[in-house]
Amino acid sequence: MATTGTSQEEFTLDTASELAAEEGGSKIEGKSPWALAGRRLRRNYVALAFLGIFILVVVLCMLAPLYVSHVSHLGQDDQNAGGFIHENGKKIPILSHGSTKFGSGGSVTLTPGGIPIGPQWGASGGPYFLGADGLGRDVGTRLLFGGRNSLQIGLTSAAICTILSIILALLAAYFGGACDWIISRFFDLIWAFPVILLGIALGTALSIDGFHHGPINIPAGSLWIPTLVIAFVFIPYIGRPLRGQVLALRNREFVEASTAQGAGSLRIMFSELLPNIASSVLVLFTLIVANAILTEVGLSFLGAGVQPPHPSWGTMIADGQDVLASDPWLSLLPGIAITITVVSLNVFGDGLRDALDPRAKVRIEH
Amino acid sequence: MRTKRVRSVAVAAVVAAGLALVVSACGSGGGSNETTTSATQGKTFPQLKVVWGTTDYMDPGLSYRLESWQIFQDVYLGLVAKRYGTCGVGAGCTKIIPALAQSLPKSNKDGTDLKFTLRKGLKYSNGEAVKASDFKNSIIRDFKLNSPGIGFFSNISGSAACEANPGKCSDISGIIVDDKAGTIQIKLDQPQADFLYILTTFFAALVPSSTPDKDTENPPPAAAGPYYISQYKPSRSFTVLRNPHYKPIPGIPTGNPDKIVAIMTNDLAQSAQYIQSGQYDYDENLLPTDRLKQLQQKYGNQIKLWRTPSTYYWFMNQRTPPFDNLKARQAVNYAINRQTLVNLRGGLGVPTENFLPPTYPQYKKITPPAYPYNLQKAKQLVQQSGTAGMTVGVYTISDDAVDKAQGEYLAGQLDKIGWKTKLHELAGANYFVIIGNQKTKAQIGFTDWFEDYPYPTDWFDVLENGKNIHATHNNNNSNVNFKDTNKEIDRLSHLPSSEAFTAKTTADWAALDKKLMVQYASEAPFLNGVITSFFASRMDPNCDVFTDLFDDMAQTCLK
Repeated sequence: MATTGTSQEEFTLDTASELAAEEGGSKIEGKSPWALAGRRLRRNYVALAFLGIFILVVVLCMLAPLYVSHVSHLGQDDQNAGGFIHENGKKIPILSHGSTKFGSGGSVTLTPGGIPIGPQWGASGGPYFLGADGLGRDVGTRLLFGGRNSLQIGLTSAAICTILSIILALLAAYFGGACDWIISRFFDLIWAFPVILLGIALGTALSIDGFHHGPINIPAGSLWIPTLVIAFVFIPYIGRPLRGQVLALRNREFVEASTAQGAGSLRIMFSELLPNIASSVLVLFTLIVANAILTEVGLSFLGAGVQPPHPSWGTMIADGQDVLASDPWLSLLPGIAITITVVSLNVFGDGLRDALDPRAKVRIEH
Repeated sequence: MRTKRVRSVAVAAVVAAGLALVVSACGSGGGSNETTTSATQGKTFPQLKVVWGTTDYMDPGLSYRLESWQIFQDVYLGLVAKRYGTCGVGAGCTKIIPALAQSLPKSNKDGTDLKFTLRKGLKYSNGEAVKASDFKNSIIRDFKLNSPGIGFFSNISGSAACEANPGKCSDISGIIVDDKAGTIQIKLDQPQADFLYILTTFFAALVPSSTPDKDTENPPPAAAGPYYISQYKPSRSFTVLRNPHYKPIPGIPTGNPDKIVAIMTNDLAQSAQYIQSGQYDYDENLLPTDRLKQLQQKYGNQIKLWRTPSTYYWFMNQRTPPFDNLKARQAVNYAINRQTLVNLRGGLGVPTENFLPPTYPQYKKITPPAYPYNLQKAKQLVQQSGTAGMTVGVYTISDDAVDKAQGEYLAGQLDKIGWKTKLHELAGANYFVIIGNQKTKAQIGFTDWFEDYPYPTDWFDVLENGKNIHATHNNNNSNVNFKDTNKEIDRLSHLPSSEAFTAKTTADWAALDKKLMVQYASEAPFLNGVITSFFASRMDPNCDVFTDLFDDMAQTCLK
């Protein structure tokens, strides 16, 4: 700690503050790195705008039950393939009627059907504001509930992944030796598999019968399956850069000082080292959320994530791809939602990184 | 057979005995709207370019898919064949013609001793002479390959050893051949009404005795028909050429294109696009349902629609709750809106409550409808069955958009009537193997059936007879096993030949259909499939000849 007025060489902020006070100027207050980062972030209007967009998406998705009770009156899995809507007194089938009729003399008449109604924009009194899918389900409802599922999986898996990565990185870098070797090889092992392929393999295997080992019982179709799979496959993508940072920190003076004061390993890791990598953790977390959402979408699209009939943005794109020519909105709407969410998270993540450490080059590398 | 599936080895083992040969009935097919092959003859052209769905094998001993069989009909011939003409609704394609045999067989009174004589001067595409022993060796080869068709031949005397140990099959005493005289004698353990129909399947097609006893694909085995497959790249392409050694056989079209070149894809939109752009001449795949309207408006004259001898239905496993309860099965039948299920197929289907398709003479439409769509009644039945709230596993195919949608529709309906469903969407390649395994205990799910041959035993004996329930590769997915209907199926299968197609027998099959579907609600049938044929503008769709299951490529012609 600096002392005041004892030496010309030891001129500090405190000294400057006292001198300023003596000269009648305003007192200079020291700013913590977090406060400085907050100030930098507040000045980054683009990042804040995209944070606002992300929050808006989250809020809209959280309001899905209200949309069901007040607007669509159809739950996320409620089918209405044989139903009708009324528009200006007209009865319109939700799926167009199709038939093939074989007449005498070999005549055949085909009436192509099965095409769902498009967006009604409120004309039907609420239901099918964004149209119906091939089973007469409300696209608006599914978009919001699908968003809930995608965001829930993305955020939860990113949180789990980050926590596990921090623990592993601290253990590996602080203890070194065999512990470091084992954890590093574990990172290498997962890193060796492409994320999506490992995700498909695990997701497919677990989606058949779920996970039942010891006290852990996760039924097939549970959202916890894609959540845990995604959390697992991203561990080295956070763990490795954090391990590198901890390695650089563990021989610094403040760690030696703490050791000299008799602090134990756990205290050094979590009270000394962790706060020093917190800014990187925060940035990596925001970036991994975006990646986790994208991975969930990919897995669900391929049938290894959220299981039907429950919606996610990925399953909605998969459902819509077969009718892309006639009902493009079925794939486009979840596609747009994904783009908005991921772009907003990435732009905000970049802003956060610039704010926390403008010189840092933290990024998720695949 | 089923769409894109390999059928059980065991199923046909029991295609029951009893009837004498239906040779007399073989001539009874054909209605007023049958197309003769002569209309398309003599319009040869150099090359036909086609787009084809992928298939399992290109070896007649192994393949059990429509995609291969459609090619095989102009390539591989057996002793007899189904007639090469468009079938009339109701009459079915029941007529059988001699192919490599000079005539239909001579037989004893009960039809257990059949004698064929080969036509003279027949040669395979590789120049080898067709010999009587090739028939026997082809059947033995089927056993050695563990072909899905070996169950069809279990009634041939002396086949038991081969059936018990297919890989070591070396002789079947019930097939006696004389290469010099060109005669083939087949002895059956007991009379079997549909045996001649079985001989029309490609498992009984002749291939040279020199053909290796393993999957032979590149090139596939030499053929005795008007064409042969010169090249095959699985899932990518194949080429079919004229058989240079083929001598015309009456009733079998010599074919118009000199060469058929195919690319293979399962992408329906891409497939249709190839035809629209004129790059290819014929689309074997179904038209994409979401583009039907657009394609029909623009290319209506180039699209033909055909009713297939097929039924799509929900199986209900009667060995496990809740479907061991009649009321639960009836509830499912009331809960499904058959018209909605047709809508989900884009309109390519005809709603049905029958098990037999209308292409059969034994078909009699169930009127008035036994199970009209009535969700309220379905709910009541679930309550009455005491199974409300039970968890029900619904199985369907994940990689076919329509099958997937239909499965999800069923799950939604079952949720509405009081059960809690758990959806199991499985890849099509494994789907029927998984649901056909009793260990899976699949409760309810999607299935379909396309005829192997046009006689009701292919439906009721294989799919509805309790004697044909197997631990694995089970086609009786509902495990239907009612004493009285089992007995009736056996009785009808054991009638003398003179009664095989009488009005009474026909009515009895129809009554059996009604009893199983209405009284026992053993299945929940919902539609008969309709398929599309899409031709490029240079082709003349009027030449299209649709045999009972597929278009005949050999008879296509240019405008």
